[in-house]
Amino acid sequence: MEEGGVNVIDLTQADESFVKELEALGADELRECIQCGKCGATCPMALAGLEFFIKRIVHAANLGLRDILLEDSSVWGCQSCNRCVEICPMDIKPYEVIQAIRRAAMKVESCPANTYEGLRNLYRFGHAVYPKGYEERRKKVGLPDKPPTVISNDEMRKKFQEILRNTILEEIAPFPLD
Amino acid sequence: MKKIGFFLGCNIPFNRPDIEYSARYLLNELGYEIVELEGASCCPAFGTMPSLDLVGWAAASAWNLTIAEEKGVDIITGCGSCYGSLNEARYHMEKHPEIKEQVNKILAKVDKEYKGTTKVWNFINFLYEDVGLDTLKAKIKNNLNGIKCAVQTGCHNLWPSRAYPTNEDNTFFPTRLREICESIGGVAPHYSTITDCCGMGALRSTASEKSLALFKKKLDVIKQEIDPDIAVTGCSSCLLQFDAGQALLIEQKKLDYKIPALHIAQLAAIAMGADPEKATAMASIPLNGVITKIKGGN
Amino acid sequence: MPKIGVYVCHCGENIAGAVNIEEVMNYAKTLPDVVLVKNYLFMCSDPGQDIIKQDIKEGKVDRVVVAACTPRTHEPIFRDALESAGLNRYFLEMANIRDQDSWAHWHDKSGATEKAKRLIRSAVAKVTFAEPLEDRYGDMEKSVMVIGGGVAGMFAALDLANMGLKVYLVERQPSIGGMMIKLDKTFPTMDCSACILTPKMVEVAQHPNIELINYAEVDAVKGYVGNFEITVKKKARYIDWDKCTGCGVCTQICPARVPNEYNYNMDQRRAAYIEFPQAVPKKAVIDRPNCLYFKSMEKTGKPACQICEKGIPPKGIQGCPADAIKFDDKDEYINLKVGSVIITTGYKVMDKSHFKEYSPHSKDVVTAMEFERILSATGPTEGELKRPSDGTKPKTIAMISCVGSRDERYHSYCSKVCCMYMLKHARILKEKYPDIKLYLFFIDVRTAGKDFEEFYVYTRELGVKVIRGGRVSSVDVKPNGKLRVRGFDVDLCSPVELEADMVVLATAIEPATGTEELGRLFAATCGREGFLREVHTKLYPVETASKGVFLAGCVQGPKDIPESIAQSRAAASAAAALVIPGKIKFEAIIAEVDREKCSSCGVCVPLCPYGAIKLQEYKGKEKAYIEPALCAGCGVCASACPSMAITFHGFTTEQILAQIDALAEA
Ligand SMILES: Cc1cc2nc3c(=O)[nH]c(=O)nc-3n(C[C@H](O)[C@H](O)[C@H](O)COP(=O)(O)OP(=O)(O)OC[C@H]3O[C@@H](n4cnc5c(N)ncnc54)[C@H](O)[C@@H]3O)c2cc1C
Ligand code: SF4
Ligand code: SF4
Ligand code: SF4
Ligand code: SF4
Repeated sequence: MEEGGVNVIDLTQADESFVKELEALGADELRECIQCGKCGATCPMALAGLEFFIKRIVHAANLGLRDILLEDSSVWGCQSCNRCVEICPMDIKPYEVIQAIRRAAMKVESCPANTYEGLRNLYRFGHAVYPKGYEERRKKVGLPDKPPTVISNDEMRKKFQEILRNTILEEIAPFPLD
Repeated sequence: MKKIGFFLGCNIPFNRPDIEYSARYLLNELGYEIVELEGASCCPAFGTMPSLDLVGWAAASAWNLTIAEEKGVDIITGCGSCYGSLNEARYHMEKHPEIKEQVNKILAKVDKEYKGTTKVWNFINFLYEDVGLDTLKAKIKNNLNGIKCAVQTGCHNLWPSRAYPTNEDNTFFPTRLREICESIGGVAPHYSTITDCCGMGALRSTASEKSLALFKKKLDVIKQEIDPDIAVTGCSSCLLQFDAGQALLIEQKKLDYKIPALHIAQLAAIAMGADPEKATAMASIPLNGVITKIKGGN
Repeated sequence: MPKIGVYVCHCGENIAGAVNIEEVMNYAKTLPDVVLVKNYLFMCSDPGQDIIKQDIKEGKVDRVVVAACTPRTHEPIFRDALESAGLNRYFLEMANIRDQDSWAHWHDKSGATEKAKRLIRSAVAKVTFAEPLEDRYGDMEKSVMVIGGGVAGMFAALDLANMGLKVYLVERQPSIGGMMIKLDKTFPTMDCSACILTPKMVEVAQHPNIELINYAEVDAVKGYVGNFEITVKKKARYIDWDKCTGCGVCTQICPARVPNEYNYNMDQRRAAYIEFPQAVPKKAVIDRPNCLYFKSMEKTGKPACQICEKGIPPKGIQGCPADAIKFDDKDEYINLKVGSVIITTGYKVMDKSHFKEYSPHSKDVVTAMEFERILSATGPTEGELKRPSDGTKPKTIAMISCVGSRDERYHSYCSKVCCMYMLKHARILKEKYPDIKLYLFFIDVRTAGKDFEEFYVYTRELGVKVIRGGRVSSVDVKPNGKLRVRGFDVDLCSPVELEADMVVLATAIEPATGTEELGRLFAATCGREGFLREVHTKLYPVETASKGVFLAGCVQGPKDIPESIAQSRAAASAAAALVIPGKIKFEAIIAEVDREKCSSCGVCVPLCPYGAIKLQEYKGKEKAYIEPALCAGCGVCASACPSMAITFHGFTTEQILAQIDALAEA
């Protein structure tokens, strides 16, 4: 909110092409939303009090409010719980709108820093979550230091990396893939 | 002996190996041979590849699925995100052959091919359908002795139902985990926020305080409506919130009661005679009371 | 040599805005046999038609091409013009340079002009080979069958009967009355439904021109407009209705208790039952699958119960005093001849089991129709407001709109009456129990209709809480049996929740069971959603795709009572206009078999969608014959006949080929 009044959104400044971009990124039924509100009361983002939550996000996306949506971090708080997908009466699969916005944001590097941490871990170790000190924890319950995943198999890890290099990650990753 | 591929994911082997220990114990005890999915990676988590691109997501998931396919086994996972990510990727590839085709082009670079022959289970549906409640009952060593369980099935274990091979009759009124707890001697009443999100996951990393506040609301309803001895989750991420997250709330003096929490694999393993020390080794909220009660029930 | 006149219409700006009229006219003048080309702002207007008539009368032209709009709506007008000027009405051809040209290619003016030329060229080519044709007339049966005895069917039957026509009213249930008789009060005027409908039901039953055929369904249909031959199946009642006085003795002594579908299974009836207290006719039936007599006869061959017939003598309980019980009753088939049919089979409502997010397993979650029965004095609680689970009086009720409507997974349409009946329910409750708390969750509040918005405002004044943009997300049962309702309030810009004692779901209106099958018997088609379809939403709103078959009420789509009645009286008038003259006109555009050429192969017979073709003996051989009254002029047979024995008048092979050539020409 700006000092001395609300931040009035100028709808004519919206970017119509944003809707098309999102459709191409997987939110292909976006425009069918009738703003019934059903997704708005059980979405964890709404209940947790995020500035933008699914109903609002779908509406803002349909209005073409690209900058507002990409500048706000709310979409990164989506739990991927898919409750909205389960109940949306228009079956627009609202969660796919969130994913599409995230994909659009990634392309212009407009996402929270911790997003990259997960990606980097995924590429380096094959595990998005890779906390320190796990060997100790495993020992405590009598399990081998390393689990039998990519982390203990270099050959497989390289192959997995090759797969990732052949995805869009190659274009987007703001860190070296080598 | 029946074989099953154990998909570890990230949180279970690195943060909560006590779940891994319990799951291995439980599956063996129930007569399954665990097949290691050597080289398996992250599912991938929703904040990573799925937020980049559908084909990239499907390719990473397919990598994992092919490992099981090559060994000719189905997959079981204790993590809701893994269950969701792998199954949704499967669903997209099945529904859109062009995605599967693109994925297989990528997999071909490492001499792999995704066919779509492997089923992905979570513990709830596996115990409920593949094992069966009667078998479960028959194999109990430590009866839960009537401890009251508040169950948390977990969002990813329910929705989107279109992607799942098997599910609850009514995903908004889940009963399977309750029935499982009751079959090993617990009591597991329904409560009105049973399908509410625990707040773990992206919300926790993006807005930690809000995530914990959301979780507290859920805990308060649980406490007020059924006042359980323990919370039992079907998902390792939920467990992190119920256990470590709860400990954080207590530390911040935002909570004046405690509800110890376990993953269903842990609870069932204890019922099947696993060493409670190991099975709950990483728990932040002490479980002594609950364990004593279970032991007393013998 | 024909003398062809071409008349180009501007249709205001509709055609002239995209087609260069002058260029087209100059072109038309160059076409073979065209003797004159004229244009006018609106060809269909009186002065426009006069231009054509004048040219015909003066002998300048003897074939006419009108380049204008669609023949669907305008061909009859120009045909009449030709006829009134003394020319055979089938010497006309229309080139649709509006719908198929100017409208479609509005932004490509030169392209549209070129296309107009081609369309005119093709029309000219066709009209060159036009043959004079005559319309024919057949006899008309002066009676009408109305199928479905709800409010729509009853009003249609009464209007027709009052015009002196014989009416057969066929109703599937034991009583007429339909859904309206189940309602408590009715918006917008709040009359008591039973009070205003019962007298009408009696009037229907007593009208000398109406033959009421209850507990019956249409079984088979033969014939065509003017001469439908309909077989009606009267279901066995196991009670002789000629004897039954409706005393109700059997319905009290019968020991077999069954869920009562009339009250949506919220209470019980007996196997011998009268549908509801004000039933018309007030007669009992025995529900065979649940009757102990039939059950035991099937199992053991011995009757375990005949209480309704014989009573329980040791206890001094008498059986049917009218000696009406008739265990050996059989289904009966009757054949009726009618000239026209009106279908008014109404709707049903969705049940709650589909909506898992709304805790359908809770007894206190009910559909709006169930709620009507709870409010009704003849309902399971005799009009007392009680929670189904424990019989206590609810203090807080939440109502949810659009359940199954505006929902891609069930019905994409709006059920139209729910917003209003939710407000009605709120008003009934608030006027009776001022302290009750009511929360109405709407997506939007749709109150378009006479006096509806006033109704809405008045309801708000009563203190009813309206939440908009609030399709409820979830209803969860709390351990204390109360229901937590969660929705989004767009006006507060916040998720909201409340604890309710009862939740009422405004579930969607959907076509009655068997609508599509019934339509198929009459060759009347249904739309995507399964409601019977009208021929044209604006111009022909009560006619179906099948000639002589009309529709009215909710069988055509969701609507309220005023609209249902308005439509039913319109359908009655349309049917009467058809039947009363006693004659029926058959268009000349039909197919005809040249029996000399027919090779008796029979391929055409099953192809005809209207069943108009049969094989008949001709010169000692079975040859195809097309019944002119049944032929709808679709032309399928003519295109399929391998011997080219079928002529499709108005579209002869010669004409079609000439048209194709003209279109294909560079
Ligand atoms: C909860 C609720 C409340 C409503 N409240 C109001 C209100 O307050 N005011 C208002 O104006 N409108 C109201 N309506 C709408 C109203 O009910 C309808 O407009 C009206 O009943 C339509 O009448 P109908 O004759 O077209 O159909 P119906 O009432 O459904 O009658 C159809 C008849 O055809 C019979 N039938 C069905 N199939 C066959 C068959 N194959 N053969 C023979 N017979 C058959 C049926 O048994 C039935 O008797 C309400 C609707 C609902 C759901
Ligand atoms: S539930 Fe679907 S239609 Fe309704 S507001 Fe959400 S996205 Fe739009
Ligand atoms: S998937 Fe995301 S947007 Fe949908 S309900 Fe869950 S948190 Fe909200
Ligand atoms: S007892 Fe006889 S007369 Fe009376 S309602 Fe029953 S069948 Fe009719
Ligand atoms: S025979 Fe018995 S069960 Fe059947 S209708 Fe008569 S009283 Fe009822």
